[in-house]
Amino acid sequence: MAALKGLAGQILRVDLTSGSITKEPTPEDVFAGYIGARGVGAYLLLKELKPHTDPLGPDNKLIFLTGPVEGTLAPGANKITVTFRSPLTGTYFFSLCGGHLAPEVKFAGYDGIIIEGRGDHPVYLWIDDDRVTLKDASHLWGKLTHATEDAIRAELKDEAIRVACIGPAGEKLSRFACIQSDYHREFGRGGAGAVMGSKNLKAIAVRGSGSIEVADPAALEALAEKTYSILAGNLKARARRHYGTPEMVDGTNGLGYWGTRNFSSGYFEEANKINAASMKENIFVGHISCYACPIACGKVSYIKEGPYAGTMIEGPEFESAGLLGANCGVADLAALVKAVEICDTYGLDTMSAGAVASLAMECYEKGIITSRDTGGLDLRFGNGAALVALMEKIVRREGIGDLLAEGSKRAAEKLGVPELAMQVKGQEFATYDPRGCKGMGLGYAISPKGAHHMIAPTMGAETAGDGSKRFEYKGKAALVRETQFLLAVVDSLSLCSSMRFALGLKEQIELYRAVSGLALDEAGAMLIGEKITNLERLFNQREGFDRKDDYLPPRMLKEKMPTGPSQGHLVELDPMLDEYYDLMGWDRQGRPTAEKLAALGLAHLWREVS
Amino acid sequence: MNVLVTYPERCVGCRICEQWCSWKHEGRVNPTKARVRVSRVHSKYLNVPVTCMQCAKSPCIAACREGALSKDPATGAVIVDEEKCIGCRRCVRACPYGAVAIDKDKRVVLICDLCGGEPQCVAHCREGAIEYVPLAVADRGQRAAYVETVAAAMEGGSK
Ligand code: SF4
Repeated sequence: MAALKGLAGQILRVDLTSGSITKEPTPEDVFAGYIGARGVGAYLLLKELKPHTDPLGPDNKLIFLTGPVEGTLAPGANKITVTFRSPLTGTYFFSLCGGHLAPEVKFAGYDGIIIEGRGDHPVYLWIDDDRVTLKDASHLWGKLTHATEDAIRAELKDEAIRVACIGPAGEKLSRFACIQSDYHREFGRGGAGAVMGSKNLKAIAVRGSGSIEVADPAALEALAEKTYSILAGNLKARARRHYGTPEMVDGTNGLGYWGTRNFSSGYFEEANKINAASMKENIFVGHISCYACPIACGKVSYIKEGPYAGTMIEGPEFESAGLLGANCGVADLAALVKAVEICDTYGLDTMSAGAVASLAMECYEKGIITSRDTGGLDLRFGNGAALVALMEKIVRREGIGDLLAEGSKRAAEKLGVPELAMQVKGQEFATYDPRGCKGMGLGYAISPKGAHHMIAPTMGAETAGDGSKRFEYKGKAALVRETQFLLAVVDSLSLCSSMRFALGLKEQIELYRAVSGLALDEAGAMLIGEKITNLERLFNQREGFDRKDDYLPPRMLKEKMPTGPSQGHLVELDPMLDEYYDLMGWDRQGRPTAEKLAALGLAHLWREVS
Repeated sequence: MNVLVTYPERCVGCRICEQWCSWKHEGRVNPTKARVRVSRVHSKYLNVPVTCMQCAKSPCIAACREGALSKDPATGAVIVDEEKCIGCRRCVRACPYGAVAIDKDKRVVLICDLCGGEPQCVAHCREGAIEYVPLAVADRGQRAAYVETVAAAMEGGSK
């Protein structure tokens, strides 16, 4: 049992090449220094991965980590991260998954699971408290994700087992394949599913029956009660409770920064067909929650009629509605739900999938690809049936789907139109068009994992009040920097970011103190956020990334927003970048300076690993 | 006397009820030691909270050969005498709901004790999926649901 409270005390290490399974004591000093999950993952990946590791080779690792609050009374404590080198971006990467997997891992007695090597045949990992085995998965290879979960639960004869698995997309090494859990929760972005596929690991199944000790139960209990009551009265939280994440459609589109038709615009005229109100009216039939969540943002959707009748999913999430919907010009809810179902059951990131589809659609409309390339699909923007058919091709890597499964950047380069891929470092944009929200543009640019929206989600602060702040450049570098540190803390604690509706940094740190018993304060937490941010930067620097990779596609910098409330706007990135690097104590190439590393106490580590 | 009533159609599967149940009884969160358990039927996107229903003639008590189970006359909760319980799990098999479980460490059974009259699952369920109501009106929710179904069918028929 760990001395540092809130931890299970062990890390599981599984080498698929040799089949060896070992348990190591949780490195408590690393957890004390980096809180958990994301922070510890960044540290371990930098330490354990050799420079230039092939993302799809046996030397890449999948480092699954929970945070200190999982398995305790903490509300919204349900995230587990996986850290790896991404086959999509080549960068450091971590993906977060909700659902019920994280607490189960802790209850089984582990703070994390490190997967390395490569099996010579498909296997799955079965963690039954302290009994851990590798089981043959040949019969599961090729199965869809839901079927895989069901089959494993049936095989192990327990309905309550939690499973994380890949689908055919991961097996076929699609570069944006995800790892799926609880049917519709996923380690979504960056291709963790492809890494898992490359290792011949079909699934991880977990059953835990233990518990986690906390330092100050009375304080934790009071904080939990306080969180529930704040959330009950919070308007944003209530909107999310009623509508799920699509509650954000109207706000984002209404201000004209909702990526539309491959980000040729930020305003989708038909948004009201795929917004929260329309979903609630037409497709929502129930609610589903991740573990310990007082919001329950998961909405169950069901298609009653038409060609996709009978389709049932949890979702669509806001980002899926954006990238498979608005960004493909698709306002057909049923087609949207079907597209999400295909992605989720085959194990593909809906966001990147929507982005490559929108790229293909623009290429089709411009004559860069023709119906001969698409196998007869009429890939015009707005064609929902064609979108669904295209998803089938991508997940199977059939025809043009094979090219698109490589991600937007690679596909666009092959097609000779690299400028049409809306991506940074190979990671496709999230659904926000940075021309209508400049801080998000800077956030996309400097994100260690490419154009990811949750590294520095500044949109809330930028659209507060009359919403005009989002066009300003002043203060954006500072806002991005601060938001980045805050998120690094919340991701390391492994709280769902929706808990930030109720829990500011102060409360998050109170929670951490109650659970861990460590006397961390807010300034100390921000410093940890900064250290994590620098570690992530250093990993990428070792792989050759610098300022040249911190750029948005030319469309954002040169093509004025053509329509909607953000009309006429561009992103002027360079001045924001300069300011940001200066504030970070990085040189103008975006490299942490020796002084900065020394000040953060990272100089020694960097010498050791570089 | 009050009893627990569950509304599976309202349950979202957050398992906050399990958390508080084990927390109050064990001082730790541990779903396997909660007296209320939430099962997810993945394929149907359903969640079902399972807890003791305070049966009038408790099959668990009848099944126990050790006299380890009795009913608290004040609350109607089944009380486990941990000294007498031998962990044979006859009561587990007898329960029509599957609401009795075994504590793997103490090797005695876990049955809802209604937290002495203030059930924590009810206090913390944000969805109203578990209620604690007088026995006399415990069936009203069921009736309301049935009436709604009939009304909907009649409405549909008259169109
Ligand atoms: S707290 Fe309520 S909604 Fe949550 S799992 Fe329990 S019964 Fe269901």
